[in-house]
Amino acid sequence: MVIAFLRTIILYAFIIVGIRLMGKRQVGELEPSELVLALLIADLAAVPMQDFGIPLLTGLIPILTLLCLTMALSVLTMKSVRFRAVLCGRPSVIVENGKLRQGEMKKNRFTLDELMEELRMKGITDLSTVKYAILETNGQISVLPYAAQQPATAGQLGVCGGEPGLPTVLINDGRVMERALHSRGFNRAWLEKQLKQHQVSRTQDVFLLMVDEENKVFLVKKEGTQ
Amino acid sequence: MKRLWIALALLGAIFAGTLLHIRSLHGFTDRLSTLLGQAEELAEAERWEQAAALTVQARDIWTGRDVYLHVLLRHGDTDSIYTAFRETLALLESREYGEYAAANARLTTQIQLLYEAEQLTLKNIF
Repeated sequence: MVIAFLRTIILYAFIIVGIRLMGKRQVGELEPSELVLALLIADLAAVPMQDFGIPLLTGLIPILTLLCLTMALSVLTMKSVRFRAVLCGRPSVIVENGKLRQGEMKKNRFTLDELMEELRMKGITDLSTVKYAILETNGQISVLPYAAQQPATAGQLGVCGGEPGLPTVLINDGRVMERALHSRGFNRAWLEKQLKQHQVSRTQDVFLLMVDEENKVFLVKKEGTQ
Repeated sequence: MKRLWIALALLGAIFAGTLLHIRSLHGFTDRLSTLLGQAEELAEAERWEQAAALTVQARDIWTGRDVYLHVLLRHGDTDSIYTAFRETLALLESREYGEYAAANARLTTQIQLLYEAEQLTLKNIF
């Protein structure tokens, strides 16, 4: 058992180093330690599940060890910036003031095709409109266009209307959400009135009814109802 | 920070538990090997009944910790040792020293290997 415990620690550290050396592109949304955990736990759980000749503890001890290691590492990454940089890496600026930083791209093994693909996915076709493109530690690209290229906000255009806030679902597939109804200060009578206004006779005929913070009602009837 | 201490405490507990397991396995396998060795010496001196009694005692010690062994060791290993015990006892009844000695040596080696496989050595880790 102690062999399984120590092997788990060695393999975990080894795979984290491997993933870090592979570069940020390989990580994809997860931090290296989280990716390694996801990769290992599934396999560790599957082996004793399929092979009855192996004690369950052979799978449980490495999984528990991995969870403890991940928990310890996550606390350490929160506490220490330096440790976080070692474990997760640092963001890399790929484009700065519209100029490609080829050295940084080479260091991260990030190709031009991949950069253009990421930019297109964010609706940008002209590289010169990009002020910064940053390869984050989780493998994602953050793109910041020049201020002149950014879409104007409602506030900038002076067309700012009311603040609808978070809509609350009051009827979900014909069922009235009583708690939500009362927390918004409404009652059944108010609900019946809203249904009547939308030419609906029963709550069962409503697929979705939402109300925003300005009490604006949005109603979708169930298909096949009059 | 509390989470860090919990994680480190759990890691320490697992490590301590595994070391305890090794220690317990060492004592257990040593005891069985000694009994089987004594049984072989008695068989060599043609004291078959006493040899059989010691082997039965060793088998009873083994089966007495069946659950512990089944939970912590590979079932294939524990099953093969149980089979080897039965074979050794059958050969003791037939009083064929040569065959019995070979079977007893196999059984003793299998038991010792259980501990060796769990021993904390660089050879085992890598």
